[in-house]
Amino acid sequence: MGVYLASEDGFKPPSTADFNLPPVFGDNPFTTKPVFLAFFSVILISVFFILSARKAAIVPSKFQFAGESIYSFVRNDLARDVIGHEFMRFVPYLFTLFTFILTNNLFGIIPFLQFPTMSRVSFPYVLALFTFVIFHYVAIKHKGLIAYLKEIMFMPGVPKPVYILLTPIEIATYFLVRPLTLSLRLFANMFAGHLLLLVFILGGEHLLQGVIGLKLVSPFAFAFGIALTFFEFMVQCLQAYIFTLLTALYIAGALADEH
Amino acid sequence: MSKKNPNSGDQNNSKNEENALWSIVGYLLSGLVIWGGIGWGVDNWLDTSYFVLVGLLLGAGASIYLVWLRFGRD
Repeated sequence: MGVYLASEDGFKPPSTADFNLPPVFGDNPFTTKPVFLAFFSVILISVFFILSARKAAIVPSKFQFAGESIYSFVRNDLARDVIGHEFMRFVPYLFTLFTFILTNNLFGIIPFLQFPTMSRVSFPYVLALFTFVIFHYVAIKHKGLIAYLKEIMFMPGVPKPVYILLTPIEIATYFLVRPLTLSLRLFANMFAGHLLLLVFILGGEHLLQGVIGLKLVSPFAFAFGIALTFFEFMVQCLQAYIFTLLTALYIAGALADEH
Repeated sequence: MSKKNPNSGDQNNSKNEENALWSIVGYLLSGLVIWGGIGWGVDNWLDTSYFVLVGLLLGAGASIYLVWLRFGRD
């Protein structure tokens, strides 16, 4: 499709280049749009939750209700159900993680912002690094370093020679695959979603400038773009949920005495 | 993803399922990557071309065994 349209007046299909936004101030690479969005999200989240908690009342306002339902969702459905009786220690981290990822994901479909911060891979990498450090730290503190490594490497009830096969897989799973899949799942979902929206909406706009036949098709591209925006909204919430849920599950695994 | 249920016991169950799902994906992936990678390294070292296949099969088998060990036997 891209080639076909390109013959007219150069439709440039969206590509990875659309994610390399230029710095806002001069050539300082720390002033790109995703960086500002990340800071903006922190301000937004802080203001929202401070305001919703400040005038806490027995009969909550709508505002307070919204803030409290998000908090109790993370606290009860994610932390308490998954981690168990020691969950309170981890609620601040899980709550921060969930709201930060959710807000930054939603930036992808909010007009004028329209860029999911997490589609730049370094943001998910850093978040996964935090989770990685936390769940290993918790496990080492809870079980002791030697016992923890032994638990990872040697699954009980297996003939000894089989460990040669299984131990490398276990090590790779805990130290490589877990943080990588955690970050890449979030990154890839946000990246692909944004690209998809770009294709349909920029494509629709380009069709509008074509001959009459193409103009007639253009509304379908826009309609599809709008439908996909709703779909994206779902994916964005789901990915924030999955990231937080897996973090909680990893912490729960670190605290569990046996598997 | 499994359906959400207001019943908290069911919800816990669905989270365990989700945990199992992602762990299994992780195991299968790392089995293939690690043993396939070792096979590929041996191939490069000995100038052969079949160890990567041996490694991949071994890794797939081992990781399925590992999944069974962790989630299958009760």
